[in-house]
Amino acid sequence: MKKIIKKILLILLIAFVGIQFVPTDRNESDVVLESDFIKSQNVPDNLASLFQTSCYDCHSNNTKYPWYNRIAPVSWMLAEHIEEGKEELNFSTFGDLSSRKQKSKLKSIIRHINNGEMPLSSYTLVHSDAILSNSEKDELDIWLNELRDNL
Amino acid sequence: MKKIFLLLTVVSLILTSCGSDNSVEAEGNESKQQESDGHDHDHGDHDHSSSETAERNIQSSDVESNMADAIVDAYLEIKNGLVADDKEAAAKGAESLLASFKDFDMTQLSDEQHTDYMDIMENSKEQAEHIVKSPIDHQREHFEVLSVDLNDMIDLIGTSKSLFQDFCPMASGGKGATWISSSEEIQNPYFGSKMVDCGEIQNKINE
Repeated sequence: MKKIIKKILLILLIAFVGIQFVPTDRNESDVVLESDFIKSQNVPDNLASLFQTSCYDCHSNNTKYPWYNRIAPVSWMLAEHIEEGKEELNFSTFGDLSSRKQKSKLKSIIRHINNGEMPLSSYTLVHSDAILSNSEKDELDIWLNELRDNL
Repeated sequence: MKKIFLLLTVVSLILTSCGSDNSVEAEGNESKQQESDGHDHDHGDHDHSSSETAERNIQSSDVESNMADAIVDAYLEIKNGLVADDKEAAAKGAESLLASFKDFDMTQLSDEQHTDYMDIMENSKEQAEHIVKSPIDHQREHFEVLSVDLNDMIDLIGTSKSLFQDFCPMASGGKGATWISSSEEIQNPYFGSKMVDCGEIQNKINE
């Protein structure tokens, strides 16, 4: 019996080590593009830090990875998740969108923040600093609506 | 046995450090690619702003083309679904809309129209994709964006249909929102049965 357990553990260990070789794309970039949302839309500093803490990890070209997110299979799940997030909205290239698309993205952003759909609860579970307080949500709501009306 | 574990740990450590080297390289490539992407888009934006004025000059009543009719029909299918509070019907309409974009013959467009068409179509497609899979209150929010798009689309390429542009001042959280309808009677897609007759005709197309 003991031998079987040992064998299983060994197989699991080999599998765990093995999957570390599978290359995972890392979403990191030192370049802040001209099209970056904060840069191109002149987001005020206090709100810029909210976007960076609560949105940019999954919706920009630069994710701040904690150490445990570098280990497979967590890193794979995260990579897939970020890919999905950026497909829906990428703040790094926001300035490249036509004003029509910027407006409809802003509408979705406002709705997702107000409804509490974003940031995802699975994300804030680990990143408690990404939770938006009601007053922060209100501030974002006012500013984003103003931006949308002026586009 | 212990030796095997020790060996594996050492091997894994060596290999993980190799892995991180690779990722640095990948990062470099990625950022280069993004930079060039950014430039491409810049050009696209210039094109867009120059053709935007042209778009405004085209009056829907001047152009009687049926090119956009399949798109209009699919839009009306979504609208009727929302009026009836029928999420499934709205989703089906959104699928028809996606199909009508696929079937649309872009070769009939002028170069100028083409840029604007692509912009409107891509935005509408995104809204339609969300309408396909969302609960009804989300569908209505995306429909609001879609209605602006459809109006611009009709402005751009015209329609042979008689249509009405309606407006409800209470929709969109009191900001007001428009929609396109084929019937003179007001049937509000933003409130459905709750307030189906809220709204007024703002504009008539081909009437």
